[in-house]
Amino acid sequence: MTEQEIQEKGYANPDALVSTQWVAENLDDTENVRIVESDEDVLLYDIGHVPNAVKIDWVEDLNDPLMRDYLDPEHFASLMAEKGISPDTTVVFYGDRNNWWATYALWVFRLFGHENVKVMDGGRVKWEAEGREMSQETPSFPNAQYPTPQRDDSKIRAFREDVMAHLEKVRSSEGGLIDVRSPGEYRGELLHMPDYPQEGALRGGHIPGAANVPWARAANEDGTFKNAQELREIYEGEAGLSPDEDTIAYCRIGERSSHTWFVLSYLLGYDNVKNYDGSWTEWGNTVRAPIER
Amino acid sequence: MEGVQEEADVVVPGGSPECGGSVVVYLKGGDDGKIERLSWTGQGDTISMGATSIVLERILDEGLSMEEILEMDYEEFVDSLGREVIGSRRRHATLGLSTIKGAIRIYQRKSRSAVKERAGG
Repeated sequence: MTEQEIQEKGYANPDALVSTQWVAENLDDTENVRIVESDEDVLLYDIGHVPNAVKIDWVEDLNDPLMRDYLDPEHFASLMAEKGISPDTTVVFYGDRNNWWATYALWVFRLFGHENVKVMDGGRVKWEAEGREMSQETPSFPNAQYPTPQRDDSKIRAFREDVMAHLEKVRSSEGGLIDVRSPGEYRGELLHMPDYPQEGALRGGHIPGAANVPWARAANEDGTFKNAQELREIYEGEAGLSPDEDTIAYCRIGERSSHTWFVLSYLLGYDNVKNYDGSWTEWGNTVRAPIER
Repeated sequence: MEGVQEEADVVVPGGSPECGGSVVVYLKGGDDGKIERLSWTGQGDTISMGATSIVLERILDEGLSMEEILEMDYEEFVDSLGREVIGSRRRHATLGLSTIKGAIRIYQRKSRSAVKERAGG
C-alpha cells in the first residue's frame, strides 16, 4: 500500500495513517520520527520488531501503578524523554491485532496533547507479510526534552457520570453510544475465568441504547483499516451513528473501544467521540447502573 | 494434550477470546481423585498459550492428582515461568491453571451430586 492508496480510501484525515512503505523509508529519520510498537501480546516486540521501533506497553508504561487511571503528566514526560520523543516528534504507532493496542497508546498520547500521531496501516502483521526486515535490537535514543504537559481528559475521555448524562440524548436519538464487544458480551453472556470472577462483571448486558459493532469489523483481513465508505456503511448505515452527534464508545476496559474511537475520530472525522474506558468492568459492577439485554 | 475430548466428563471455558486469551479445558476423571485425561484448546497471546501448555505438561508428567492441582500456587507457577518474562501479564500466565482448577471443582461437584443421588440423597 502506498500513501496514494491511503488517500484513495477517502478518510477525513488520511494523514493519520502511514503505509508500511512510508515507515520503511522513514525509520532511519530517528530525529523526527519515533516508531512505537504496542501489542496485546507483550512478547512479540522481543521476538522481532520494525527496526528502530521502541516498545511502549499500555499495561506497564501508560497506567497509574496504584489507581485505575492513566499515568500522570510527570511520568508521561519522563517516559517520552526516555524514548527520545520530544513534543514535535512524529510518533507512528503499530502493533498486533489490527493495531488495537497501538490505537489505545495513541489515545493516551492524545490525553497529553501530543500532536503528531499516526498509525501504520496494517500493523505488525502487514509488515511481516511483506517480508520486511525485523530487528531484535532494542534501540536507544538520546534523552529528549519533553516539558511536563497538561493532561486534558475532557475531550476524548468519558467517565461514568458522562455516560449517565448521555443516556437521555441516546434515548431521544440525539447522541450516539457504541458497544464494540462481541455480540455474546453485548447480550450478557458472560465469559470469565473461574478463579477470577472480578475479571468479569457481576451483571451482563449492555448500556441502554448502545449499538453493537464488534471493534474488528473496522479492519480488513490483512490488518488494514477498511475504507471510509465501508466504515460509514457499518457505523452509520448499520449502527445509526452520526458525525453530528456526540458519541461515546466502550467495551470491557476501554482498549477495544479506543480502536473504534480512532476510526470514528480520525478516519471518519467525527468531532466529538469519547472513549469510556471504565467500560463494562465499571458499568456492569455499578449499583443501579441501568442495563439492557 | 491439545485437542477436543469427545468423552470428557467436564468441558470448561476460561478467559475471554477478545482479551488476553481463552482456553477450553477437557477433563476426564479417573479413580481415586486422579485424572484419566486432560486436554485443552485455545487461542491467545504467547504467554497465555505457552503457560497453559507448560502447566498441562507438568501436571501430566508428574501425574498430579486433582487435589494436588488445586493446591498448586499461582505465584510459584508464575515464578517458575520467570517473572521478567511474564511481567504485567500475570492473568494471562495463570489462565490455563485457573481454568483447570475450575474444571476440577466442577467435576468434584458433579461427582458429589451423583453419589448423593445414588444414595437416594
